[in-house]
Amino acid sequence: MILEKRSNKLFRLIASGLLTAVCLLVAAKLYAFVNEAISLALEAATPYVEQGFEVREDNWSGQVEPKKPLLVRHQLFRGNEYWFWAGTSWPGASVRVDVFDSSGNSVGLESFAEKSHAGVRVLPQKTATYYIRMVAEYDPEKAANEARAAGVIPAADGVGEFGATVDWGLVYGYR
Amino acid sequence: MIQTSSIPTSICLALATLAVLASSFVRAQDDVPDRLDLTNFPGEIVDKVVVPIPVEIFSVLDKLGELEWGNGISIPENEPQTTERAILALTFGSLVGEGFIAVQAKDQEKIQKVGHLVLNLSESLGLASAVRPHSLGIIEAADLRDWERVRQELDNTQQTVRETMERLRDDELSGLVSLGGWLRGTHVVTVFISEAYSEDKAELLNQPGLISHFREELASMTGPSKSSSEIRAISTGLARLEGVITDEETISEEDINELREISQTMLEEFYFGTEEAAN
Repeated sequence: MILEKRSNKLFRLIASGLLTAVCLLVAAKLYAFVNEAISLALEAATPYVEQGFEVREDNWSGQVEPKKPLLVRHQLFRGNEYWFWAGTSWPGASVRVDVFDSSGNSVGLESFAEKSHAGVRVLPQKTATYYIRMVAEYDPEKAANEARAAGVIPAADGVGEFGATVDWGLVYGYR
Repeated sequence: MIQTSSIPTSICLALATLAVLASSFVRAQDDVPDRLDLTNFPGEIVDKVVVPIPVEIFSVLDKLGELEWGNGISIPENEPQTTERAILALTFGSLVGEGFIAVQAKDQEKIQKVGHLVLNLSESLGLASAVRPHSLGIIEAADLRDWERVRQELDNTQQTVRETMERLRDDELSGLVSLGGWLRGTHVVTVFISEAYSEDKAELLNQPGLISHFREELASMTGPSKSSSEIRAISTGLARLEGVITDEETISEEDINELREISQTMLEEFYFGTEEAAN
């Protein structure tokens, strides 16, 4: 009887330990996945660091449905120059980013949008809260081409199986 | 002859370059609407607020005139005598803010002192292992007078502590670290602006969105710290700051003095000793 109770307790302990380990693994995997979008945004920032931009450690990231715009609020200071860089690591996905003032006017002075990252430059005319709009797109054909170019078979490797959302990351730098 | 023919060529080349640049700019901006209806945004508004680090304002102040940053450094004489984690988190943020002031002053000794204090405080918060590499990085970079790296390490330190707190489900504390840094930076900015007021400098304090964010964060606290005298005093201080900083109006010299007094009173609750308050 005592032995049975002990083995039940041991089983519960092992089960809860395994469950915790699985949860931690999933969380770690998700964290790494989100970080990849940030890594791509930081990759886009690299040439600008050489021009004297200091890139902040803090950033924004998450998952979003393609074509559904995201709006990030951020305080900017007149007298500084800013670049915002966005990235996505999802195969076949692309991003665009632009900035608006508190009246909703577009204030981006220069921008670029390449396949997995994009950027926009701002020289604020006023110290205030600004709005950074980011839109992700997903092209299944492009995803299949990218998978083929990488030498993977989508159906077998699970690559290109689109799950309704793509990852995104946004960083900024100032000088 | 050569000269006359080369002028139109160079003009043509310049115009062609401009045309290419202009067309690429237009292409890149093609999908950007000129206006956005912010009251009826057809998407998702991201909740997360990234609080600017003090050096983002300091760099503008530097462009507006030379400042004696060394006069702005005010490292507390004594380490906090509390075990209250909310107060330790606020102090941690303010110390990082102090580090940014010391970097502007290019004061190696003070930066290194901040590096040591940051590490001690992280031990009290139980986060020493995460902070130690950054703390050592601050000290080492200051020794090499690599100011850019010191700034990066200070930003890293704050970010590492905040992320570690969030992983430990201490989101409230993470927000307090940002608040402490912002408050220390805001106070020193008001001190410098009040010494040589200009509207351009005063505009840097136009941050009603951030104040509102901090007020919301304190209001949503659920732990016992919420009712501590320090947190209540800081909540009151934020409400007073919000009363002075309104989005539409110019921040006057009188306003700056008021902001300086309010932020000083708030820092006296957890950071400045009463001796510093008298200075």
